[in-house]
Amino acid sequence: MVMLKELSKEELVLPGNASCTGCAASLALRLTLKVMGSRTIFVVPACCTSIIQGQFPASALNIPVLNIAFAATGAAASGVVAGLRIRGIKDVAVIGWAGDGGTVDIGIQALSGAAERRTDFIYICYDNEAYGNTGMQRSSATPIGAWTTTTPTGKKENKKDMAFIMAAHRIPYVATAIPSYPIDFIEKLEKAKKIKGTRYLHILTPCPPGWRSDADLSVELGRLAVQTGMWVLFEIENGVFSISSPSRIVLDKTKRKPVEEYLKLQGRFGHLTTEEVAGIQKAVDATLDYYMKLSGQRVYPLLTD
Amino acid sequence: MIDLKKCTKCLLCWVFCPEAAIERMADDTPKIDYDYCKGCGICAKECKVKVVSMVREE
Amino acid sequence: MLKTIVETGNHVAGLAALVARAQVVAAYPITPQTQIVEKIAELVDSGKMNAEYICVESEHSAMSACIGASTVGARTFTATSSHGLAYMHEMLHWASAARLPIVMAVVNRAMGPPWNIWTDHGDSLPQRDTGWIQIYCASNQEIFDSIIQAYRVCEDQRVLMPAMICLEGFILSHTNMPIRIPDQKEIDDFLPPLEPGWVLNVEKPVTHGNMLSPEYYMELRYFMHEALQNAKRLIPQVAREYSKKFGLPEYSGLIEQYMCNDAEVIIVSMGTIGSEANLAVEKLRNEGYRVGSARIRVFRPFPHEAVKEIATRAKALAVIDRDISFGMEGILFTEIRSALFDLPKRPLAKNFIAGLGGRDVTQNDIEEIAKKTFRILETGTGVEGIEWVNMRR
Repeated sequence: MVMLKELSKEELVLPGNASCTGCAASLALRLTLKVMGSRTIFVVPACCTSIIQGQFPASALNIPVLNIAFAATGAAASGVVAGLRIRGIKDVAVIGWAGDGGTVDIGIQALSGAAERRTDFIYICYDNEAYGNTGMQRSSATPIGAWTTTTPTGKKENKKDMAFIMAAHRIPYVATAIPSYPIDFIEKLEKAKKIKGTRYLHILTPCPPGWRSDADLSVELGRLAVQTGMWVLFEIENGVFSISSPSRIVLDKTKRKPVEEYLKLQGRFGHLTTEEVAGIQKAVDATLDYYMKLSGQRVYPLLTD
Repeated sequence: MIDLKKCTKCLLCWVFCPEAAIERMADDTPKIDYDYCKGCGICAKECKVKVVSMVREE
Repeated sequence: MLKTIVETGNHVAGLAALVARAQVVAAYPITPQTQIVEKIAELVDSGKMNAEYICVESEHSAMSACIGASTVGARTFTATSSHGLAYMHEMLHWASAARLPIVMAVVNRAMGPPWNIWTDHGDSLPQRDTGWIQIYCASNQEIFDSIIQAYRVCEDQRVLMPAMICLEGFILSHTNMPIRIPDQKEIDDFLPPLEPGWVLNVEKPVTHGNMLSPEYYMELRYFMHEALQNAKRLIPQVAREYSKKFGLPEYSGLIEQYMCNDAEVIIVSMGTIGSEANLAVEKLRNEGYRVGSARIRVFRPFPHEAVKEIATRAKALAVIDRDISFGMEGILFTEIRSALFDLPKRPLAKNFIAGLGGRDVTQNDIEEIAKKTFRILETGTGVEGIEWVNMRR
């Protein structure tokens, strides 16, 4: 169990970055780098973090960063890993750090390829549930019912289940996390750091301008996401599914907050009818039931590769 | 603004600041760098003993 | 010591990557390039080639992976054709603007639809604005030599730009030709290990490719253009050095000329049409025509000065394009004419479109093209308009 006091004092995300007020992605980035340390190379596609780094000639990131085209994170990272290896450069972690667009939509091919090749890197998707960098258009990670600029009456399709897609690649480690539960997040990063092969983390990062929520609520919203079951913290380690402790509490229906408490704080859900909210509640309850049964089970058959 | 007299040095404000605008001093007291604070208010919201207050900059 | 082997253009490209000591190869198969990637896979798997070989899942990823590897200081190589080249178009811009000395073999193949696996230059010529050096080969020896020389030119600190070595699909890629290869030690002497222009290093972190305002962008683009001008000077120098060191023919650097000195009509072309043109020239000379052939080897950077120099001596140019820019004309033709514009005395220039989708361009076709051009000279008419060669009626 990690103590927050043990977290490194070094700030590798320098103050003065260009993120919006209350940006949880910026928070997640800061915490990630505290755990990963300075022997890290980041590969960052077009996403909010491209802007968060700030403009030439300054940069808010004090580690080497390769900014790359939108679709290319998984492939560029594969190249960096191979280049380091052939040059005999050891003990440098390569991290793909991408938004939901660059992961579940335009970036999915390159990521899938990298995972299938068992590329030795960590891929972290920080998910604000839309194309944040370009002004909040829908992505396939946008949840059902959410307003975005391209789904003005609410998205009609469910959120793509990226964690399970990655698990199906039979990679050694998949986890969901959120900066609102920093200890859980840090423990997962520490665990991922020690594993070889492709490791995938999917983090929900509340976005005040995109979600139409107050800037000071970004941590609280993340907490509510977990407490309502709208975001479930889990790990899939070598194919075995396990629910993380903050979400395990919520398996008990009496301890589960109604989804309303999470949705009402976000303007993007403001248009939902009572029926639609009930539909979301039903889906959350069904998902948690399903996860409860899945606990300790394999999500794919055991193979030798 | 942080009322250091009542601060319990739990470090939550330091952990949760998205901007690295709160410095963790040697004795674990938090110190806000007002040049870089964006005024999001997460620190005030998350402080368990409510010693962080948001004051408008004039 | 030169060793003679008989190999296809594709296998030769793979061998060149081996002896150039490419360290990371990321490639995706596409007809007619596949034997390049297969050869390299064989060399890496057998331990003959000390490289990381990434079987990427698309060409866009092939170029992205080469970029990633190049940014941490590895020498990279890849190969593609046609739609594969088109698919990586976005990343071609990325590689050159990031100033990465990546070398790529492009096995020229027509674009679809409909699917056509045979050759023309309609895949590589549309990429001419991406900042990549473009060299067009006419023999397997030239493919080998050009790849090795390209690394020297690209990795020079005055250049630091990527290069594509183009070879026609099936005509060169799948045809066996004898080639003479210097031994590894001599190549190592000629081509030292890569010293990158910039590198991602945890000891000295930099952020690359950050957002940048209109205040700075133009200067970066100017430097790229300047780098290609430097390459224009460097390419013939490196070719000369290579030729002297290994006793191999030099391809006159930017343009390979054959009997141009006293020619009235010069056939201007690229690739194997250029080598075929030499045969046509010989036959026509025997019939009394004062004709010559200028094969443009280096299309980017464009050899303005060399073109002007050849053109001043001729009365007419027969420019054969194995491509077409729809709604305009042959791409080579446009660029040749543009180079001639400022000359006080310009030759006539006639555009011939030939060989699209792998249609054979025979010695006979080229002789006809030359004769037509002579008739234009004699009659003073017929220079306007594009002539499409050997079409079904």
